Amino acid sequence: MNYGKAGKAILSLAVAGILGMPGAGAAQGDTITIGMLSAFTGPFASFGQLQKEGAILALEQHDFKAAGKTIKMIYADDQLDNELAVTKAKQLVEQDKVDIITGLVSGDEGLSVGAYMKGKQIPVVPMYSASEDMTMREWYPFIVRPTWTGAQPMDVFGYWLAKEKGYKKIYMIGEDYSYPYNQAGGFKRGFMRGGGDEVKTVWHPVPTSDYSSLIASIPLDQGYDAVLYNGAGSDAVAFVKQYVEFGMHKKLPLLGQSNTFERPDLDAMPSDIAGSYSAHLTADDMDTPHWNAFRDAFQKRWGYAPTAASEFAYGSMLLILRAIEARKGDVDDKEALVKAMHEVDMSDEPRGPIKLDQFNAAIENVYIREVAAGKDGAMYNKGIFTVKGVSQFGPYDSKLYMSQPADGRDSPPDSRARMPETILKVDKDYAFVPFGQ
Amino acid sequence: MDTRYLIIVFNGLTQGALFFILGSGLTLAFGLMRVVNMSHGAFYLLGGYMGLSILRHTGSWTLALLGAGVLIAFLGLVLERGMLDRIRAGGDLSQTLLTIAISMIIADQALAIWGGHPVSIRAPAAISQPVSLFGFTYPGFRYVLMLAAALIALGLWFLLYRTRFGIAVRASVDDRETVSALGVRIGTIYSLMFMLSAFLSGIAGVLGGSYLQLSPGEDITILTYSLVVVIVGGLGSLMGALVSALILGQILSFSLAFAPEMSMFLVFAPMALMLAIRPQGLFGRRL
Amino acid sequence: MNAPAPRSPGAPGRWPGRILAAVVVLALAALPVYGDPYTLTTFIRAIYFGFVALSVALLLGQGGMISLAQTVFFGMAGYVIGLLGVERGFAFPIPEIAGLALVLLTAFLFALVLMRTHGLVFLMLTLALGQICWSFARQNTSLLHGWAGIRGIHPPAIPGLDLARHADFYWFSLALFGLALLAVWRLIESPFGLAINGIRENARRMSALGYPVFWQRVILFMIAAMLAGVGGILAAWSTGIVTPSTLHLNRMIWILLIVILGGARHFWGPVLGTVIAVWLDVAISQMTPRYITVIGVIFVLVILIAPNGILGVWSTWSARRKAARAQAETPQVQAPSQSFPTTSTSPSHQGHTRRKP
Repeated sequence: MNYGKAGKAILSLAVAGILGMPGAGAAQGDTITIGMLSAFTGPFASFGQLQKEGAILALEQHDFKAAGKTIKMIYADDQLDNELAVTKAKQLVEQDKVDIITGLVSGDEGLSVGAYMKGKQIPVVPMYSASEDMTMREWYPFIVRPTWTGAQPMDVFGYWLAKEKGYKKIYMIGEDYSYPYNQAGGFKRGFMRGGGDEVKTVWHPVPTSDYSSLIASIPLDQGYDAVLYNGAGSDAVAFVKQYVEFGMHKKLPLLGQSNTFERPDLDAMPSDIAGSYSAHLTADDMDTPHWNAFRDAFQKRWGYAPTAASEFAYGSMLLILRAIEARKGDVDDKEALVKAMHEVDMSDEPRGPIKLDQFNAAIENVYIREVAAGKDGAMYNKGIFTVKGVSQFGPYDSKLYMSQPADGRDSPPDSRARMPETILKVDKDYAFVPFGQ
Repeated sequence: MDTRYLIIVFNGLTQGALFFILGSGLTLAFGLMRVVNMSHGAFYLLGGYMGLSILRHTGSWTLALLGAGVLIAFLGLVLERGMLDRIRAGGDLSQTLLTIAISMIIADQALAIWGGHPVSIRAPAAISQPVSLFGFTYPGFRYVLMLAAALIALGLWFLLYRTRFGIAVRASVDDRETVSALGVRIGTIYSLMFMLSAFLSGIAGVLGGSYLQLSPGEDITILTYSLVVVIVGGLGSLMGALVSALILGQILSFSLAFAPEMSMFLVFAPMALMLAIRPQGLFGRRL
Repeated sequence: MNAPAPRSPGAPGRWPGRILAAVVVLALAALPVYGDPYTLTTFIRAIYFGFVALSVALLLGQGGMISLAQTVFFGMAGYVIGLLGVERGFAFPIPEIAGLALVLLTAFLFALVLMRTHGLVFLMLTLALGQICWSFARQNTSLLHGWAGIRGIHPPAIPGLDLARHADFYWFSLALFGLALLAVWRLIESPFGLAINGIRENARRMSALGYPVFWQRVILFMIAAMLAGVGGILAAWSTGIVTPSTLHLNRMIWILLIVILGGARHFWGPVLGTVIAVWLDVAISQMTPRYITVIGVIFVLVILIAPNGILGVWSTWSARRKAARAQAETPQVQAPSQSFPTTSTSPSHQGHTRRKP
């Protein structure tokens, strides 16, 4: 008897038999299953960790229950790899039979999972994924994103720098992938609307450790007002460190994208960058009753202060739980569930009140911050200005916005002269109020 | 000369210094033992993280540097005696595969212990001051790194050409059996060389973590750069590692300055070309 | 690797083997009936990775070469489908044929350079080529969209089959894989296959005997690349997305290790290894976040203890049993019907397990 062949046969029969058994986790009568797809291992493990902490805080505050039913969380790790994300999404849908999918950190991960989930009739609630097309050109009604898009805070930022600080020319160095493109796109639109002339964009591969040559190439004699680093994580830490080491911070002020100065990365950066501006949906010194309650609860539970990623996860999970309660625990009618999500009152969201637009994207506050040293010497992002009610389309009409080509490496253009008139002029632009009002 | 270009050249020298420290150990281990240690990058990363922990506990960067080297050398010994020795009869490919599997484990454990956030090691202020030389300001630590590489190069040359150990190593590369027959303990030489190689990658981790930073995934990047250095220079040749590290450093530095999108291609292409045209590298022996 | 050994005529035990084989085939074919969708997905995944494993095993087991570049072909086919099918609207089968054509051409060009080397240098060169392709995919944004890759790939409608249906896709993949296995088996048995075996053992002698060693190896490489490419097409259809990580070294190493796990020298080795590895991947990742460590440890153990893989251990055990039985039954010492693999551990150095006619 040929053992090799038989061996394979027996083994695969056994495997088939085992795998053929019905999967666990079909939504039982009084359990609701939520799948959280994120990067829990690998180079981006910190994001997954932050998301999980924010989500668990919300769940614990509700005893892991909503409308009397138990919430079962399933965590799927995709290491921020797009192919693995789709594979795990399949697992969540086909094996675990989840009722809702959430998590999602990166723009591309979000778009990939979004594309797969189309037609599956399961709500998708991205917690940090900021690729705007998820709630614009590639949207479908089951996507609910109560967080942000890449362009949203940067449009405000660009406008503020041009209008209020009088900057005319910015030199931007950024990570070469879609999320920074989106951030750059929003920034360019706002900046030129506010009177700026040029945003020169230079892209570097991800990851890069040694920025010294890039930094040496920054021209000091062409009238640039500032350098904007459009990247985050280890790249940002390395860039900022080297920027300071070469003494550049004394020659050209440093600006950041939304995530550049987020903690805990900020803790690894030299204190010489105090005064650097950025824009985000949170500021570390917010002082509202809702934020303070959240911050204290988070600090108590996890031992350190929350960041934007943690708050986004918290708020998203809160929205999900409230929608379930509004539906009295019925998650079988997914369309009604999504409608309930759209209508949930999130005016007590810790970072500021939010409402969802017709694409289920958030309309919310954007904060301009600057890096400052705290009493204990640790740096934090101090809020200086607020703009309320910012939509993912900025001050633009949604149809006009979506008719533009998607933000990419070379679009929108770097200079005012090549920017379309319809982008440079709007009827009503942002109104800045001092932070805290 | 435009200081901009000068700075780019010096950046290349800094990179080259780190590449040499990494490549020298790898190439010597290969020359002697015919094993390419694919855990080299993981050793770098682990060494850096261990140095960080030592620094946090003792406050001494020097202790972190040497401690990391020693700990990784010890790890190398364990790996070599415990596993590589056992499968040596199977040929070089098995050992290469084993070191790949080991590197996976090390990288995952490092992630578990030190987390996913990027970290950097704070070098002592005394050697980190900006230095004004040749007409531009440059971080002092980078000069320290270049100096360290030069000292290591000298030290290795001395070891190989002026000590009995070095003679035994070079002879073993040439003719293993005769050396063994003469009573030299080949096994000990192998272990010592592997430990030296591991020591070098451990301290490279602390040095690299001080002027750049450490994060998960760095191990693969460092491994691929090390392999390029070693292959272009020639497996087994110290001079080859030095020359190719310098060249590679310049290629990387200039491509990052002027064509960042092409930087990886420009780094790997010489390796592919070298393997195709002259597999023994610039200074290596006929394989 | 070697074809499954046919038994000598008149030997006992032919029918149990055939019945078992039929049961297995039936069980696999009927999977969509009794298995849940996720099981199907897992098997489909095993199939398209199985193609790449087959590709690696062909080069390793038959050709004695360890290639770290097979995932290049796996990803390349997917990218072509994405570029031509999704972005420029070409319908089946144009993107698929173009993908395989590009794979064959690239394999040919690579092989022209690769086949002048062997052993460790060969491995390094495939590593370098693989890294060049990966970094090109990662950094080129104008055509390949860099990190993001291409998404929105859908399986085509083939006459008679709706590949968008899960079950249909599964049967199609299974049938395709069966065909591939059959083709590989015929290849191994053919004069070409025997020549390749000979080249692995002693290339110089084969060359002296007049075999066009260089070109035969080039052809082998192209065939292996084609297998990986077909797997890549299935993968792109199944996941709907292709990204630089499809070509990443990590993925390649995983596949190499699962081939060794199953047994590189045995016909069913890569298949077994893939099924186990895909299942392990799912099972372990649900149990602990440290599954990379677990998988790494398993592979260390395999390399140290059972470098011929699971089927290698099995065949050693079965050969010993047979020899013991033969000795017990007859007074004379008879040669065992299968020769033992040697104790040397490197896949490229182990003894050749030759099947008897």
